[in-house]
Amino acid sequence: EVMPGSGAVFTFGKTQFAENIPSKFWFRNDIPTFLSCGDEHTAVVTGNNKLYMFGSNNWGQLGLGSKSTVSKPTCVKALKPEKVKFAACGRNHTLVSTEGGKVYAAGGNNEGQLGLGDTEERSTFHLISFFTSQRKIKQLSAGSNTSAALTEDGELFMWGDNSEGQIGLENITNVCVPQQVTVGKPISWISCGYYHSAFVTTEGQLYTFGEPECGKLGLPNQLLVNHRMPQPVPGIPGKVVQVACGGGHTVVLTEKAVYTFGLGQFGQLGLGTFLFETSVPKAIEHIKDQKINFIACGENHTALITDMGLMYTFGDGRHGKLGLGLENSTNQFIPTLCSNFLRFIVQLVSCGGCHTLVFATPRL
Amino acid sequence: DSDDIVTPVSLKCPKADSEKMCVEVISLAFNPEAEVMGDETVRQVYVEYKFCDVPLSETETPVSLRKPRAGEEIHFHFSKVIHLDPLTHAARRQFLRDALSGRGPEQGRLKFTVVSDPLDDEKKECQEVGYAFLELRQVMESGEDLVEQELEIVSPAERAPIGRLKVGVRAAAALRAVCAETQPRAEGAEGAVRKQRPRRQGTLPQPDDPATS
Ligand SMILES: [Mg+2]
Ligand SMILES: [Mg+2]
Repeated sequence: EVMPGSGAVFTFGKTQFAENIPSKFWFRNDIPTFLSCGDEHTAVVTGNNKLYMFGSNNWGQLGLGSKSTVSKPTCVKALKPEKVKFAACGRNHTLVSTEGGKVYAAGGNNEGQLGLGDTEERSTFHLISFFTSQRKIKQLSAGSNTSAALTEDGELFMWGDNSEGQIGLENITNVCVPQQVTVGKPISWISCGYYHSAFVTTEGQLYTFGEPECGKLGLPNQLLVNHRMPQPVPGIPGKVVQVACGGGHTVVLTEKAVYTFGLGQFGQLGLGTFLFETSVPKAIEHIKDQKINFIACGENHTALITDMGLMYTFGDGRHGKLGLGLENSTNQFIPTLCSNFLRFIVQLVSCGGCHTLVFATPRL
Repeated sequence: DSDDIVTPVSLKCPKADSEKMCVEVISLAFNPEAEVMGDETVRQVYVEYKFCDVPLSETETPVSLRKPRAGEEIHFHFSKVIHLDPLTHAARRQFLRDALSGRGPEQGRLKFTVVSDPLDDEKKECQEVGYAFLELRQVMESGEDLVEQELEIVSPAERAPIGRLKVGVRAAAALRAVCAETQPRAEGAEGAVRKQRPRRQGTLPQPDDPATS
């Protein structure tokens, strides 16, 4: 069959799909509307509000009722009565929200990241009773045993592992039910990294919290003592609109530029071959002529989508996850154009531990 | 419902493991007391190796990275598949056979060279700062791919240890197959000896499609 005009989902790296060879798939009468890559698993939400899952499943994070690896996108039938809207894959768990404002969770739960009031893992999706139709979910995010849900009203709720203060609660190691995280201003974007987190206020201020090492909070040394509380990151001119947290790095999109900080030993900061770590946010010079619309971080790699639908990737090139070829691959230290997508418009991208998913439509 | 998923059927036959090998230059570190650490003319380095007739531009890391600081490792993750089809690459298979029997330019070893790459504003030539050697026979004898092997880097002149290079070699199946073959020796398979080191600008070849299918 020939790829339809509605495009395809492209898979790169260790996806478990197509034996980890760069590949693609599409839906017969449906299109992807949202992608999320966890450490080793993937969720695809479609226009018909269906949820498809595949990848590693050791903790039941695919929510399919088993713990065996799934190599082909598989519809979660149990959620069929619901209209699935968003999904967030963490290291070993998955969150899902519905049009009706419900939130479900499945997978590993050792730190209470499922939000179900206990620490027992689940291999099917369970309703988090805290969320009701009164709150409209705008965004979900999941990290390494952490979870977050952001509402349309700008309220942020987080739960799970707080050993490094990554859910912003001062004196507690973990929490099994959603807790509000607030700085007294409405919040517009949330990202959970592996052991750190960041959000953006509607005013355009970036806040970071969690594991303080290697500059990934973007804070000067004297502020790191308070790393368990969300603190504003200085030194980013202009209004911040998005943030993406990886394993050891943070990527920030403002209205004018992309800033990065933290660890860049594999090139995931995109700041060149001389700077492998910084706690001071730095603008990526290399793409300053491009208008970036979307940013995504995996554990050690980064992807950017431009307003023209072009995609740049950089960072750890292992397993072909940068989408730049499998037989010859290397770490990229500056944003590198995925020339394979020149004849496509890249619509969505998500980066995981060792893989990347892209939804792209043919350029007419 | 999973019938609603369409996966285009691959027309390419996946290549047998015995007809390719993969070499990865993973990372490198210098010993803190090594002379190269104090040598201010060495600002950034790359790594290369030579494999039979494979163009040198394809077996050198496409980027040079800042010289590692004391205790720091720099990460290339430069991985290349070398094709060993018996019909089109008989010379490469002979090269491997020679290496496994201890013949060839490096007595059965794959030689990695760490090269100092002058900055653009400097008018200097590239300079070899160290060598690391991988015993191909060891890979064959162990029968297993080397996911990550740490090699000692030695200085070009005194052959004194100056650091460590991590490499990966997935070649066990190919080496086994090559060994089992009894083909006549191909002449001139060892390639030309490198002389001059022009300045370089590395780029990776890229396939046409976003995903090979
Ligand atoms: Mg994630
Ligand atoms: Mg990785």
